Amino acid sequence: MAWEGKGKTAVVGLGMSKLTRRADKPLGALALDACYAAIADAGLKPSDIDGLATYPDQPFRGAGNRDGEDLVNALFLMTHGEFAPDIKWYAQISTGMIASAPIEGVNALMSGACNYVLFWRAMHIPKGTYNSFRGYQAGGDGQFGAPYGHVHGYQTHAMAYRHYLNKYNHNREKMAALVTNSRKNANLNPNAFFHEQPMSVEDYLNARMIADPLALFDCDVPVEGCTALVMTTADRAKDLKNKPAYIAGYGQNTAHRPEYMTYMIDDYLAAGRPHAGKIYERAGMGPKDIDVAELYDGFSPSTLYWLEAAGFCGEGEALDFVQNGNVSLTGSLPLNTFGGSLSEGRLHGMGHLAEAVRQVTDRAEGRQIKGANTSIAIDGSPLLRGSGMIFTREP
Amino acid sequence: MTSNTPRRVVPQPDELTQPFWDAAAENKLVVQRCQDCQFWSHPPRIMCNKCHSLNQKYEQVSGKGRLYSWAVMHMQSITGFEDRVPYTTLLVELEEQPKLLLLSYMDGSDEGLKVGQPCEVYFEKVEDFTLPQFRVLK
Repeated sequence: MAWEGKGKTAVVGLGMSKLTRRADKPLGALALDACYAAIADAGLKPSDIDGLATYPDQPFRGAGNRDGEDLVNALFLMTHGEFAPDIKWYAQISTGMIASAPIEGVNALMSGACNYVLFWRAMHIPKGTYNSFRGYQAGGDGQFGAPYGHVHGYQTHAMAYRHYLNKYNHNREKMAALVTNSRKNANLNPNAFFHEQPMSVEDYLNARMIADPLALFDCDVPVEGCTALVMTTADRAKDLKNKPAYIAGYGQNTAHRPEYMTYMIDDYLAAGRPHAGKIYERAGMGPKDIDVAELYDGFSPSTLYWLEAAGFCGEGEALDFVQNGNVSLTGSLPLNTFGGSLSEGRLHGMGHLAEAVRQVTDRAEGRQIKGANTSIAIDGSPLLRGSGMIFTREP
Repeated sequence: MTSNTPRRVVPQPDELTQPFWDAAAENKLVVQRCQDCQFWSHPPRIMCNKCHSLNQKYEQVSGKGRLYSWAVMHMQSITGFEDRVPYTTLLVELEEQPKLLLLSYMDGSDEGLKVGQPCEVYFEKVEDFTLPQFRVLK
């Protein structure tokens, strides 16, 4: 039996700040700009907003956590946003990344807890080298990594990717097809950080290594900025100015496993298939029903894992699947049509959600997939935690 | 340690991990093991990762394993490792249990490394600590 929430809620407004390396105002102010833009885009007044949700994680471990400067918590917007005089509901998610915020929004709207939910993701670039560890002691699980010169998520992602390349007998040169495809899409996305900069296969292959086999362009580009979306019930959505992007189903990674990165290094299918399966099951769909896929690419291999875990190709086949234009705007599965985090900017999955909304509401400008009726956005990596949802043109 | 050697990040042991570092100081590699179901866990946990028992103790392991994966680090972004790039961090699967994985440090790049190569433990003094490390047997 189909999930009773299918098509009962929708995204109705979308707002973005500029995505830059160094912004001319603090992150909290950028977030407010994006939020008010999303509300205006929906044809609503700020005072209509009575629900708030976010996933306000730091850009990396060890970064600062001052509200409004390093991240933007729900409390910041409750304090500084001129919304409904009495916010009826909020959620602040600590795991599962940003799609978990609209998932909570769906549940809140369906329960009647509030009428209009604003959710946002704001990302900061601290001064200094991005993602560096300058401590002299490492506690917790890190004491078994940092003294060995292994701290960063990208190092473990590199190990997982090496394991993948070896297991399925691929080479990293094949990844150029996926990364340059995303860049082409970003060149059609005016808000993308790399909008003006094309990338050739040679550019990709000649880029410096970060943690081999991950090179510079396998890592998403850090940006300062915010994207915000507004959601409401399907009944209310009908009377608003934009076409609604209906939420057909959602799912989270609920894999049963200990939380330590090296445990997860090769369980992307075991963890990712049930995750994608929950999204499909609630929506009453399968991979064949999806017109556009926005699959998280904080590191490029994460998209490969999602392509396989979400059933778009078989195990170990993703690097072949992305060749020959198969995931281009005219291919069998248009993928990361906005440029992904790799080329639009690192919004921890928010860019994927926003683009999935645009594609089923004919708002993706020069990169619009004509007549796209369904889109899927999944954030995080199946090696870690994550969440995702399917959007549809019709409820 | 000479004055121009950069300080290297060291472990900050706690109640759960102290026995690991105490054993390492005696050149022994120990790993936490469930006394009810014999499942090994690393890093240590308060509860068995398999059967959820609280009955956990450290036991010595053989120090032998296989190379599971590795990454060659090029970023100068970890205390005391800035001047060592490129270096390689190894992920070693101990022979005691599938996916019982420990990290290790190796000088230089990864030429000649192959998944599955045998590895064995050795011990390195770093400031007041002894770190169990693995060498790849070619």
